[in-house]
Amino acid sequence: MSGRRRRAAEEPPRPDAPMLPKARFFEPVHVAVLAAVLGALRVLNLSLMGPRHGIGALERAARRAGRRLRAAAVFSRLMLLLPLPLSYAVVALALVKVLRLGATGERCLLLGGSVPLLVLLVLVGRVLFARRHPLHGSIVLDQFHGLHDRVTSALTFSRVPESERTALMQAAIEDGASLADQVDPSRAVPIPVPREALLVAVLSLGLVGLSLLEVRQYRQVPPPTTFEPMSMSADDIELFRDVAKELAAKNDDPNALVAVRRFNQLIEDIAQHRLDRHEVFQRMGELERDLKDNLELDRDARDEGLKGLARELEKSGLSKPAATAFDEKRLADAEKALRELAERLKKKESRPSAAELDKLRQALEKASRTTEERAKNIDERRRELAEEHKSLLKKKREQADAGTSDVDKKLADNERRLEHLDREKDRAARGHKQLSELDKQLAEAARDLMRDAGQSARDLEQGAQDINRMAKQETSEEQKKELLRKLQEMRELMRQQGKGGKDQLQRLQKFAERARGQSGAGQGKPSDGQGEGQQGGKKDGPLRLGSGPGSVSVEVPMPVTQSGSGVGQSGDKPGDGTEPGASPGYGTGHDPKLTGDATDLKGKTRDVTAAGADTGQGTASSQVIYGAAERGFVGRGYKQVFTDYETVAERALTQDQIPAGYRFYVRRYFQLIRPRD
Amino acid sequence: MTDADQAREQVVEFQKRIGALREEIGRVIVGNRDVIDGVLSCMLGSSHALLEGVPGLGKTMLVRTLAGVLGLEFSRIQFTPDLMPADIIGTVVLDEGATGARSLEFRRGPIFANIVLADEVNRATPKTQSALLEAMQEHRVTVGRTTHVIDEPYFVLATQNPLEMEGTYPLPEAQLDRFFFKLHVPFPSRDELHQIIDRTTTAEHAEVKRVLTREQILEMQALVRRVPVARHVQDYAIRVLQATHPNGEEAPDLVKRFVRTGASPRGAQAMLLGAKVRALFDGRFAASIEDVKATAESALRHRVLLSFEGEAEGVAPDRVIGEILKKLPASKE
Repeated sequence: MSGRRRRAAEEPPRPDAPMLPKARFFEPVHVAVLAAVLGALRVLNLSLMGPRHGIGALERAARRAGRRLRAAAVFSRLMLLLPLPLSYAVVALALVKVLRLGATGERCLLLGGSVPLLVLLVLVGRVLFARRHPLHGSIVLDQFHGLHDRVTSALTFSRVPESERTALMQAAIEDGASLADQVDPSRAVPIPVPREALLVAVLSLGLVGLSLLEVRQYRQVPPPTTFEPMSMSADDIELFRDVAKELAAKNDDPNALVAVRRFNQLIEDIAQHRLDRHEVFQRMGELERDLKDNLELDRDARDEGLKGLARELEKSGLSKPAATAFDEKRLADAEKALRELAERLKKKESRPSAAELDKLRQALEKASRTTEERAKNIDERRRELAEEHKSLLKKKREQADAGTSDVDKKLADNERRLEHLDREKDRAARGHKQLSELDKQLAEAARDLMRDAGQSARDLEQGAQDINRMAKQETSEEQKKELLRKLQEMRELMRQQGKGGKDQLQRLQKFAERARGQSGAGQGKPSDGQGEGQQGGKKDGPLRLGSGPGSVSVEVPMPVTQSGSGVGQSGDKPGDGTEPGASPGYGTGHDPKLTGDATDLKGKTRDVTAAGADTGQGTASSQVIYGAAERGFVGRGYKQVFTDYETVAERALTQDQIPAGYRFYVRRYFQLIRPRD
Repeated sequence: MTDADQAREQVVEFQKRIGALREEIGRVIVGNRDVIDGVLSCMLGSSHALLEGVPGLGKTMLVRTLAGVLGLEFSRIQFTPDLMPADIIGTVVLDEGATGARSLEFRRGPIFANIVLADEVNRATPKTQSALLEAMQEHRVTVGRTTHVIDEPYFVLATQNPLEMEGTYPLPEAQLDRFFFKLHVPFPSRDELHQIIDRTTTAEHAEVKRVLTREQILEMQALVRRVPVARHVQDYAIRVLQATHPNGEEAPDLVKRFVRTGASPRGAQAMLLGAKVRALFDGRFAASIEDVKATAESALRHRVLLSFEGEAEGVAPDRVIGEILKKLPASKE
């Protein structure tokens, strides 16, 4: 290396010098290409070196022929077997393209493809590496050129050591060598294109075509979701707004107020068309769930706890009034009784005797422990039952082969009892939680009673305050129940209205027709229609309500404000209750306050009936009522009538056995004819 | 001159002699080139031939002609059922000398010739047929305690008629195996028949002249033995032989179905020797697979024994051998 070069090599590269790729004489790819070209030339009998005559040339020709033979066999086998993996690939690719298999599916197909590929490789490998006769090539050369094994014999004898060669062998070698320029391995061993190559070509083209082909996927595009807001009539919106307002006014429990606010918000959202049917029901459901949550359970548990308290407090004459109030769940009275007892204890002059105080102390003490002891008792019973259950199970295992029907029965019974106890325990825990403050106050009162009656009185007053809290809570619960009821009504209304409230108008129309006594289409017999009729002349004429086709009429007892002069509504023939036609249309009684005799109906008069033709085109009864109920037309009398009727109807609904399906219609009816202020 | 050159000259000389032989025989025998070559192959392979053909095809004439052109001692034995072994081997007779002294003297039979024609060999009893065994195999005859060597070259040509089987004694397998080739003498073609008629129905009779000397024949026999055989050719002959056996690795289905017993190793020897002769006929220095194929039928047809099914189906041994040659690849690892 010259000095300049050495220096250049030793010098570190300058940072600004461009980075040139390092020159290499032999890249691996070059070597591979060269080897491939040489291999191909050798196979194709295109020699680049060596003489073309003599035994050496003969040897080379024989080797080439051998290689071509191997190549031809491999090619033939390859063409024979290639359709297998190619077919698989075509099918797999088609599946991938058409069915859009996922990553797992594609992986499975890929793994499946390894089988035909492996078969191909193994079978082709067997041909490629099959052991062949060392002079296979020369034999084929001899056969092709019709040389009577002169080439093969020459090559065979040339491998015999010269010392062992006979004269004839040498002559044979020379004879064979003279043929070196005549033999042609490429002609002797052609590499034919097998018939299967056509199939391979077709499959390959198919594979390429398939890979280029883009299969369009016709995907079912869901239609764009149109927001269909839930609609409610302005009248109903107003109704529920009023309900919410009323509940909010009555309530001061924060939880209940939150619920009312949510209800109000729901109504406003519906009014603003911000919610679809699904959302409305969802929000109603959520609200209902929150309201219902533990409402009943807590109430039951508290009532049970109060009853326990009542049982203990009853034992003392001083606390008996409170006990009675507790037992009857009159919390306000219980509060009052406790306050009175506290007052009495405070005043020295009216203070009870020591014996009475002792009794009261014992009663208060026991009462304070009631809920806790009840929980403990339940626990104890449950533990015993669990142990019994365990032993029964053991017994069952030991007597597995014997008849175990009794044990099974007992086990089932035990399980039921355990479940019951669990529920009781839960209830007791809830009761204990609600009454813990009251228990505490009663216990303190019991402790202080014998030492300081004044202190004990204060404890009792605090207990009374706790009862007051419970009473308020109960009121709040009532409000919640009321809200729940309204929610259910609203839900039912939504259901009846159908999706999106589109049919509301139509329904109202039908309702009006029924109210007028006309049968709607498909309503069945005329008398099956909905309507209302009041039979005049009877003091307690029942209100008959019918709805829907073939429905059973429901009798609602109605008070009659004017006896003897009830005006039977004409009750047009179809749908007018049970006996619409029987009513003469006027009253038969006589008001005693009126002066003069009653009309003598048996007098010699001539009955003249004058009635206008009922064309059915006049104002329907329901329309009349609607008119009376509308804003600006509501009179005091109407309000009074409405309130009376609604009260009676509500009472009938809650007390009588009226199917739930009809209750809605009754309530709805009253909602619709309510007086609008 | 190198050894190779000398060898080349020997081969050329061999070809010339064979050419001369063929030409001289052809003066008498019409056609039947394959049969003539087969007979010559047997002779040059130092062995014996069995000629099979219907009467009147010139079998005996061929042998007589051959004996004539070779200038060798020729004897003909007509085998008959009453022929005794002593009739062909010879017998010891009491001889009275000129001095009057008497002695036992062995009188050589017709078997002691260079070329023996055993005409209609299957008509003699097996006992007489077997008398040929030692002579054919060992080229010597033992009578009593004395062994008599037969002069070389020694060549037995037996003929048999395939049609008249009544009252004949088919040659046992052991004896058949001694024959180098079994040659079928075909019926002549129309042209050949014209020539035969022309030659035999006129007053002129073709006379053959001696072409080869005894020494030259022995020399030619020696040259045949020196012809080298490449391993793959020998291997092919062995594979062909193995394929004649029903349990052979490469035996075709036909062999498995219809062959009872395959050829003995003498079959391979016959094939290779015949191949060597054939190579020399063509002026080549080594035998080839084609030579083996060409001699396979003659060398093996009497050595392949058909099974009962084969006999019943009328399968000819030539068909079996042809199937083997067709199916067997030239080389195998």
